[in-house]
Amino acid sequence: MGLSTLSEWTGRIGELVIGASHAEGGTRSHVVRIGGERDLPYIGTHPSGHKPLVAYELADDPSLWPAAATRYIGDWVHDTADWAAYAEKEYTPDLIRLHLTSTRHRGFSDTSRIGTTIESVLQATRLPLIVEGSDDPAMDSAVYQKIGEAAEGERILLGTAEAGRYRSVAAAAMAYGHSVIAQSPIDINLAKQLNILLRETGLPSDRIAIDPYTGALGYGFEYSYSVMERIRYSALKGDTDLAMPMISSATDSLTVKEVREAQGSEAEKTAVAWELYSMLPATIAGASIVCVRHPLSIAGLKSAIDSLWNGENVEGV
Amino acid sequence: MPTVTFLPSFRKTEIAKGSTILEAAQKAGFHMNVVCGGQGKCGKCSVMVRSGDVEFDREKYGGFFSDEEAVQGACLSCQTRVMGDIRVLIPEGSLVQEQQILIDIDTPGVPLELNPAVWKYALALSPPTLDDQSPDLTRLLWGIEKSGGPKEGSIYAPLEVIREIPRVLRESGWKITATVALVPGGFRLIHVEKGDTTAHRYGAAVDLGTTTVVVYIRSLIDGSIVGIGSNYNRQISCGEDILSRVNYAKRGGLGKLQALAVESINAALTTASNSAGIDREDIYEVVVAGNTIMTHILMGIDPAYMIEEPYVPVVRRYLTTAAQRVGLAVGKNSGLFIFPAVSDFIGGDIIADILASGMAETNDISLLIDIGTNFEVVLGNRDWMFACAGAAGPALEGGEVLFGMRANPGAIEQVQLDLQTLKPSYRTIRNQRPKGLCGSGLIDLLAELLRACVIDRTGRINTAIPHERIRQGRQVPEFVVAWKEETGIGKDIVITENDIKALIMSKASVLAACQTLMNQAGIGREEIAQIYFSGAFGNYISKDHAITIGLIPEIPVERVITIGNGAIAGANIALLNRRKKRVIDEIARKIAYIELNADPTFMDEYTGSCFLPHTDLSLFPGVEKMLDQCRIVRELP
Amino acid sequence: MTLKPLEIYKLLPKKNCKECGDPTCLTFAMKLSGGKAKPEACPYLDENAKTILGASTRPPVRKIRIGVGERAITIGEELVQFRHEKSFFHEPGIFIAVNDTMTAEAIQERVIFVRDGILTRVGTDLRLSGIGIRSLAGSPEPFARAVGAVESVADLPEVLMAGDPAVMEAGLFVCGNYRPLIHAASPSQYREMCRLAKKYGCPLALKADTLDSLAELSGHCTAEGVENLVLDLSSPSLHAMLNASTAVRQHAISRTTPALGYPVCIDTSRGGHADASLITGVTKFGSVLVCDDLPEASRKAVLVLRQNIYTDPQKPIQITPGLYRVGTPGRDAPVLLTVNFSLTFFTLQGYLEASRVPCFMLIVDTEGLSVLTAVASGKLHEALVRDAIAKYGLAGEVSHRTLIIPGYAAPLSGRIEEAIGWKVLVGPRDAADIAEFLEKEWKT
Repeated sequence: MGLSTLSEWTGRIGELVIGASHAEGGTRSHVVRIGGERDLPYIGTHPSGHKPLVAYELADDPSLWPAAATRYIGDWVHDTADWAAYAEKEYTPDLIRLHLTSTRHRGFSDTSRIGTTIESVLQATRLPLIVEGSDDPAMDSAVYQKIGEAAEGERILLGTAEAGRYRSVAAAAMAYGHSVIAQSPIDINLAKQLNILLRETGLPSDRIAIDPYTGALGYGFEYSYSVMERIRYSALKGDTDLAMPMISSATDSLTVKEVREAQGSEAEKTAVAWELYSMLPATIAGASIVCVRHPLSIAGLKSAIDSLWNGENVEGV
Repeated sequence: MPTVTFLPSFRKTEIAKGSTILEAAQKAGFHMNVVCGGQGKCGKCSVMVRSGDVEFDREKYGGFFSDEEAVQGACLSCQTRVMGDIRVLIPEGSLVQEQQILIDIDTPGVPLELNPAVWKYALALSPPTLDDQSPDLTRLLWGIEKSGGPKEGSIYAPLEVIREIPRVLRESGWKITATVALVPGGFRLIHVEKGDTTAHRYGAAVDLGTTTVVVYIRSLIDGSIVGIGSNYNRQISCGEDILSRVNYAKRGGLGKLQALAVESINAALTTASNSAGIDREDIYEVVVAGNTIMTHILMGIDPAYMIEEPYVPVVRRYLTTAAQRVGLAVGKNSGLFIFPAVSDFIGGDIIADILASGMAETNDISLLIDIGTNFEVVLGNRDWMFACAGAAGPALEGGEVLFGMRANPGAIEQVQLDLQTLKPSYRTIRNQRPKGLCGSGLIDLLAELLRACVIDRTGRINTAIPHERIRQGRQVPEFVVAWKEETGIGKDIVITENDIKALIMSKASVLAACQTLMNQAGIGREEIAQIYFSGAFGNYISKDHAITIGLIPEIPVERVITIGNGAIAGANIALLNRRKKRVIDEIARKIAYIELNADPTFMDEYTGSCFLPHTDLSLFPGVEKMLDQCRIVRELP
Repeated sequence: MTLKPLEIYKLLPKKNCKECGDPTCLTFAMKLSGGKAKPEACPYLDENAKTILGASTRPPVRKIRIGVGERAITIGEELVQFRHEKSFFHEPGIFIAVNDTMTAEAIQERVIFVRDGILTRVGTDLRLSGIGIRSLAGSPEPFARAVGAVESVADLPEVLMAGDPAVMEAGLFVCGNYRPLIHAASPSQYREMCRLAKKYGCPLALKADTLDSLAELSGHCTAEGVENLVLDLSSPSLHAMLNASTAVRQHAISRTTPALGYPVCIDTSRGGHADASLITGVTKFGSVLVCDDLPEASRKAVLVLRQNIYTDPQKPIQITPGLYRVGTPGRDAPVLLTVNFSLTFFTLQGYLEASRVPCFMLIVDTEGLSVLTAVASGKLHEALVRDAIAKYGLAGEVSHRTLIIPGYAAPLSGRIEEAIGWKVLVGPRDAADIAEFLEKEWKT
């Protein structure tokens, strides 16, 4: 008989490229591709598309970053470029995701420093880069313009467009050849709406990554999980407005009560467990990039993804 | 007690200290505009206090007025307490104005057949003799039978009529006219009068709405319309919306509401009968269609339990009684037929809509939509029907929109934008200088702003477009529809991003309800043969634009049909053709009511519908093609 | 596949006879479609209708019970491939393994840990489900002793894991009456195992190399009279395991291969990555998950993940309404109103804790709706707030009279203010902005 999975899909997830090599005018040692799937995640003797990737998240202002994440890294956090270089060498994530938390201080105006930070991080690491800009619509235009410019030619993934504020991000991405993270609050309709809005600004579909917003494990994760499954399902059923790869980050994992209340080394272990137990399911639901903040989460996630991807029996960490 | 003097009429009233100006105005007989029911929310009941002592929290309600207005003493009448003798100016805009009450009937699907339930027989009876001692009543009933009427034994004669018979027979010299009606119990002798009055046989159809009452008087001989009357439902003084009426009833006001409903109908009946020059006594049947709450109140049935879970009406079949028992001023013993209700929200008015559309008598699948502050949607055909109801919010009727207004004179009712210059051209009701935007104007504007790419599909104004009409308002961006110099109110008329969002949320409720019913039935938009629009809102809006913004599913626009005031149309049909009463009962039994709140897919459909026209663009292929064209036009210059 | 009401209606007699208890055939069809009525309630169904309606309502994955007493678990009865399509119904049992080379004390320590360990979240107690007992020694006596050691301290559901029927029988001799899962029958010894399953009335797990041979094996076992089957899909490769479990679920719910219509069992110790195996099992259709000792952090995480995945997506988890404290709020501490949707509650609570401003959270009962939907549907209204303030004695807790309401409830601010006579401050729409809001706006 040869019983196997039943696949009756007509759609295909679009492919998104992050990073530009020397040949392409950038400085990345390798570029990454995500998306391209024609079936459910990890399904098929040789799964279609590209393997999910793990991004390590860091911040230019560590004071606005969870203690559980910075504590482990130590002094490196005080220089963003050093932090990125150290993380690349020690923990080998597939990508670096830089959050410009400095822009969240009230009265922030020093956009030129953002430019310097991005340039120095681009020099310190050869990994493709995801950059998160401001979270204040009033400064969006200046901040995204600056990020776009500083990373010109590097084909970064630029975050974050939302339904209420997408024009600045999209404009910067189009002007400097980057892609955009489109974030919507855990709802398949809202995700699709934002993709349509972005398309209508002129941003091509193959430069959008969907971020359906991910609640932490035990704090709404199930909603995010199902929204990711629904998005993937609709895309495979042929809905091209949802056929973009997804990025997921359980942003609040390191500040949940379970982590805050754990004692001693248990806090570290709980933090890593919380990231693994949300981000691995996220890939199973359809996320192409999963993001973590605790460096020890990276290796475990990567090996688990490998085993799900091609059956390699990698020892657990 | 302080005296309140109202300007400019100088009408005076006395009222207890601490009462609101609104209460004083109502006491003085003014029909104030109280959209929110006097909660200080809508700002429509504003007045100018010219002199005297009042209490008003200017800080709390300051947002409703400009500084200039505040200096002139502008207050919300519902939130201002009378503390002494005062003089108050009521601006025209704060009074309920003569608005276009929809009295038109347009029922293409249903040919009017004449099969009334009332007959008149002119009889010349032979007087009794010692040889012929049959009783008066028997004599009369035999006379009816001989004239081709129902058999003597099948007619029931009530005591009130029997009491009249001996006198009328003798005083008339045995030449009388007998009136017989077919009621649920069978034939009934309802009236006996002198002479031949067969030329005067009338019936009345009534639409008892929350806001308005419409009456048609029809000849039951040839079916012709002899008179039409309409006016406001006088219950408005007890609260504008249906919930406030129920609350009023709860506080012991059921009797007053019932009386006001009857008064309103009687007033319209008087207007109609006077215009026709007929006697109200010659009206032998009254057919009333109204929403569930209105018909319950008219019958004097407490509606309080209906608005609480699980929302069950007291009666779900048609009701008949004597019109006089509820106080209607028509012929003695005339029958009253009240359309049945299905649920708290699917009332007799909707059943009448369905009857008027003819959708219950064909195999074609139709969608019927009745939009007001609440909306009702029915999907189905002769075999099955789903119905649901929901709250659309007041935005579609101009409420809770900064420059929204009802369809009164001066309301912008049509708008077109030049896609290149963004210059609006508009038409107002009675061609007055514009005062605001009514529902149809708002729908037009929304569609046009979308076509012109001034707003995106979520309704956000693209402030990056350099144009004098696109500007940052007090809180949110806005688009100027008419400059101060053009308007009749001395202010720029704008539509704000918040207004647009409110409109989108309203239209989304309606579309999501349609989609939910279609999903339940497994029906795609291609299978819908017609969409019927009932009610004032549907009558005046542009069908094209209703589709463009995704208020209703996209079907070829020529298959979107307005049936005018479906409630009065349905009542007319039932009045003229008694056989339709059975159809009415079947409709009421057939409808499966879907509680949207309990339907897990509704929220999904709603979010999907909060987009212009809908998140699933494939549901609106025609609109998409048109918008693509518009984008090309916009990008040319 | 659930049929839509109108599709069902077309199969009904359309007599509106009311004998089913519903006023019309259409309303009956709606109930059938929603699973709220049984087709048998209609006395006039023809054979064709019975077949179609029967098929559309019988669960395609067999229901199995393991264990007895209050900790017994039910698995199977699943209807969908994705939880958003309806819901996953029976959460998987997580079994901690012991083996017959361990001392009785070591076994008992683990069993007691499973027996007594409770993680309380959202008012629900989360527990590990039972004990797996492995035969490593390979002979009956040690296995029976190990089973005895487990039985001596707890009445937990058990998975007896021995490939040798003689060893299995020794274990069943001890605990066979308590409905353990027999793990596992294979093509070489299934007759013996079936005999044991029938003798003790226990469910039976099946093991084979491929899905085809597994389907064949399940056919043999049902032919032997054993119908309560569980399919073991353990593999060292997570890829193989995920593909197999997905295939089994797809074949089961599409009813293309009824021989695969059984719950799935996964031994997570087969691969090197126990956490990842557990995660895959919980998310993708595992019903019996056996793992060796589970570290504390993983235990918490997997219990929460299981709760998350098996929550009914159409029924949000609710928090008990009431007055909650963040930190130790004083009489001048702010009071924040929100709804009893668990996600809203936890999100706000998290940000409040992070803000380090001690405060009160006033949770009102919106039947688990979020603020936005509660406002839209009228479930959140001023009377609810007024009653909650009275019920929870808020006036006695604080010296001020100010209530902070969620940003999305702004349209209700006036009415709430009027109803409660307190000052109402409209807070931010996003809980993430609450710290900044309190810093800027909160002064008593």
